[in-house]
Amino acid sequence: MKAVAFEEVGRVEVRQVPDAGVEEPGDAVIRVTQTAICGSDLHLVHGKVPMEAGETLGHEAVGIVESVGSDVSAFAPGDRVVVAFVIACGTCWFCRNAQSGICEDFRNLGAGIFGGDLGGAQAELLRVPNADANLLRVPDGVDDERAMFIGDGLTTAVYGAALGQIVAGDTVAVVGAGPIGLLSAQAARVHQPGDLVILDRDDARLDLARSMGMTAIDVREQDPVMALAARTDGRGADVAIEAVGTVEAFESAVDLVRRGGTVSVIGLYSVEQLEVSLGVYWARSLSIRFGGIAPVHAFWEDAMQRLERGELDPTPIISHRLPLDEAAEGYRLFAEREATKVLLVP
Amino acid sequence: MARFASEDWWRDYIARINGSSAYREVSATWEGAVAFGIGAEPDKSFPETVWGILDLWHGECRGGGVVPAEEGEAASYVIRAPYSRWKSVVRRELDPIKGIMQGKLKLQGDLPTIIRYVKAAQELVLLVGEVPTEFPDEP
Repeated sequence: MKAVAFEEVGRVEVRQVPDAGVEEPGDAVIRVTQTAICGSDLHLVHGKVPMEAGETLGHEAVGIVESVGSDVSAFAPGDRVVVAFVIACGTCWFCRNAQSGICEDFRNLGAGIFGGDLGGAQAELLRVPNADANLLRVPDGVDDERAMFIGDGLTTAVYGAALGQIVAGDTVAVVGAGPIGLLSAQAARVHQPGDLVILDRDDARLDLARSMGMTAIDVREQDPVMALAARTDGRGADVAIEAVGTVEAFESAVDLVRRGGTVSVIGLYSVEQLEVSLGVYWARSLSIRFGGIAPVHAFWEDAMQRLERGELDPTPIISHRLPLDEAAEGYRLFAEREATKVLLVP
Repeated sequence: MARFASEDWWRDYIARINGSSAYREVSATWEGAVAFGIGAEPDKSFPETVWGILDLWHGECRGGGVVPAEEGEAASYVIRAPYSRWKSVVRRELDPIKGIMQGKLKLQGDLPTIIRYVKAAQELVLLVGEVPTEFPDEP
């Protein structure tokens, strides 16, 4: 089968690899009909996480179940499904308590040894362990493109908004208008904030946010803290959702919330460090909630229903649709910020 | 009247610090330069971040003025905030210690030391409020 493989830092290639197959009784194999490139794939390709040449990439997929192992009871060949990017065991304490992102046996598709040596979703076939836990049936009214976002980005956004504990009428600021930021702003809207703004420094992203009906603030023109202060009688936002994953974005999110405010951190961090004044955080009564890896299993049914009802719609962030064979070009476009979201069709 | 955070403005401020017996008294044991990062707010006609420094030592200001960012960031104590926050401080609308504790001004350096010199900070604010200041976002 064809699959997108890491070759060396900064370079991927579509190559022939052995077909994915059922290896354990809980496995399902799906024929991928829709996959995509995620920001976290770039971390792998750019060497933030060790990868070996030939290891396959990708963790977002929709497809048709091709075959199942003997222990799979919830799915059968022919089912149209979306895959969770977190491959969880489904049975440990964390999984049973809506925290599958920190599952005892956490694995991640297409992330090399870091992810438990599972194959990637940017492929024609994909093996999904613990399939009963890690697949979700796609309703007829939801097409493959939209459904694919349920396995990762859109559900992460729904989770991030939930972490913010937004109360109707709140002022909510989303830091970063990348794919996850834009989806987070959509997800935050569901909670009926009184005011919702999204902040970025990139013209294309700001324009996209505006085209999606959002109030977008260009932080090159307006200081984010003062922009939020001006909208809240000087207090600051009630909730910030940090959707970038840089120290600067984290500090910005912390600075722009009011005293007693909440920061939901869904940007991805690995080795970044920051010296903070605990006394100031304490005196400001801040609630800083680190999302970690999103427990998509706890939120994806809700996200799918909202998608089906049209409350959430990730399609505006799709900038490119490419055949799988052109994955390398997709990675280039994404890395050079010429693309917001690149979909790949095997 | 000097434009806020200009060389003339710092010169006037430093002269007032050195002319204040009240400041000299409450900061007699203070040692360490304090840098001020005044963050850009292009929409308020303050297009670039400006750094200023006061070389404060045993009750007097031995020098200071506008400095490059790298010099400001390397000072013993660094306080950063957007331009509008500093404007509030200069106008005595925002107490700097309270501002630091509320996260409105960001301190890099030893917070307990700064807090021990709260009276010195208050004197510095009183003095800065006396500097005739032209703000760029005001006619």
